[in-house]
Amino acid sequence: MVLLGSLALVAASVILSYSVASRGFFGATTDWQDEAAVFCLVGATFLCGAYVQQIRGHVGISAISTMLPQAVNRIRILLIDIASCAFCAFFAWKSWALFHEAWVDGQVTASSWAPPLWIPYIMMSIGMTLLAFQIFLQAFGDVSNPGKGE
Amino acid sequence: MSITMLGLLFAVVTLLIMFSGMPISFALGSVAVVFMFFFMPASSLDTVTQNVYEEMASITLLSIPLFILKGAAIGRSRAGQDLYEALHVWLGKVPGGLGVANVLACALFAAMAGSSPATCSAIGSAGIPEMRKRGYSPGLAAGIIAAGGTLGILLPPSITMILYSVAAEQSLGRLFLAGIGPGLMLVIFFSIYTVYRFRKEYNLALDAVKVGAPRQPILERQTYTMQQKMSSLPRVLPFLVLLIGVMVALYGGYATPSETAGLGAILAFALIAGIYKMWRIKDLSPLLNATIKESTMLMFIIGMSLLFSNVMSHLHLSQSAAQAIVDLGFGRWGLLAAILTLVVILGFFLPPVSIILMTAPIFLPPLRAAGFDLVWFGVVMTIVMETGLIHPPVGLNIFVIKNIAPDISLNEIIWGVFPFVIIMILSVVLLCFVPEIATGLSDLVMGVAKVH
Repeated sequence: MVLLGSLALVAASVILSYSVASRGFFGATTDWQDEAAVFCLVGATFLCGAYVQQIRGHVGISAISTMLPQAVNRIRILLIDIASCAFCAFFAWKSWALFHEAWVDGQVTASSWAPPLWIPYIMMSIGMTLLAFQIFLQAFGDVSNPGKGE
Repeated sequence: MSITMLGLLFAVVTLLIMFSGMPISFALGSVAVVFMFFFMPASSLDTVTQNVYEEMASITLLSIPLFILKGAAIGRSRAGQDLYEALHVWLGKVPGGLGVANVLACALFAAMAGSSPATCSAIGSAGIPEMRKRGYSPGLAAGIIAAGGTLGILLPPSITMILYSVAAEQSLGRLFLAGIGPGLMLVIFFSIYTVYRFRKEYNLALDAVKVGAPRQPILERQTYTMQQKMSSLPRVLPFLVLLIGVMVALYGGYATPSETAGLGAILAFALIAGIYKMWRIKDLSPLLNATIKESTMLMFIIGMSLLFSNVMSHLHLSQSAAQAIVDLGFGRWGLLAAILTLVVILGFFLPPVSIILMTAPIFLPPLRAAGFDLVWFGVVMTIVMETGLIHPPVGLNIFVIKNIAPDISLNEIIWGVFPFVIIMILSVVLLCFVPEIATGLSDLVMGVAKVH
């Protein structure tokens, strides 16, 4: 996923550079580049969400964690993980619903290029589902070997 | 339930969840969804994901990962060190030249990389040991780097300003230009202070020698030959060309701000491949990894902050809060002072990105009504948030420096940084009296803004 995300980032850069070059040198009109770059970047963001969670890279306010005794802190982390997981699962569920709707109705974006909207939606759905699973596994892992908490 | 009660409930729930330590992005998203469930029509829950997607699918916002990519490409190469060494060689004759070289290196690097912590670690890892070797006090050395790093979110391309331009619906090109004047002003003030402190420490050392203490390194003067000066240039010039080239592309009308991000990233890759032979997967994968980590975390916070403020405005909370602020009757400057104080307090806990997106719908309408130029306010707010990067308890830059130079005590760093915080606050006051420092350049290049 990280590899895919990196490729998407680089692809977006190339697309945008190409956009500047084609307009600058050939006077071509640029219509699809911005949207293609948006798709790449939305994809990169959502697909890598689980990876960032895996290394606990989503920052939170940590002021309290240093003040609590370790046992209480472990419960706090577990509760946070359960809440985060519930939120991500909800979000994933609604994303799949959105994807389904866009797929069935054949929705496209409002631009002249008009690519199908299910492309970014499915990336959002897959990304959020993976993220929910990742958090679930981390929370579950913490319970089964309590020595290994954060 | 009355709007005041609802507002209070919303604020209390948000604070509780945020301070529980839940990741900021999930916390904001959860609060938004829970309030949607209880206080908004059921259909709004069905469109929550569409909502997030539509807010995020803006090429301006999505240029942020590309700016981070460009910053990482330059930050992970030896460019920072080379830049700093070149400036050091050229400023050898100026008293306190080494310190000034560090300030300038931070500013230039920040303008290329666009990130405060990245600037601190790139310039600081070479600069702090060198300054201490030459007898600068550890506090001063740390202060110079911490403060210099904050220039990263003021000089273009600044991620903070991209968000502000989206939240306040102001022209990004104009905001970038408006940041340059105050950025240069801070560079000059930081340099003057550095020279002043250097002379003080120099004279102290001189006095100590007079009464018989051993000679100290701060008294040594370095001189460099012309040849040394020239040989430092070839590795640095291409990056300056990149910096200026991107500016020309942007303001010459060849590229939109987001296209510049893509172009800048590709050019940065080409430069580090050409100059530092960094083109293998092995060289590039750590910087891609770092980019993914930072940009994904940020984009999640941004997406969820947008959802959060969306819910706030649907429930009429932002509008009521804005009205309440107006009704307080602070007057023009009182209003500004109150808002900036609140920004400082929020800066204790939250990163600038969330502050901007969460507070813009509340703060901007009263400010606009009071007749403030919102481009100017964007610059002022950015400087105020910058101070949050270098003062406790969060002070990201302080911890970056603690990482590079673990033997400097946190206390020394904080006291070393403190005068720079004062300088920044004085600059904000100066900007209030002379707004042209910020808006002059943008008005000059892009024409005078229409009056709101």
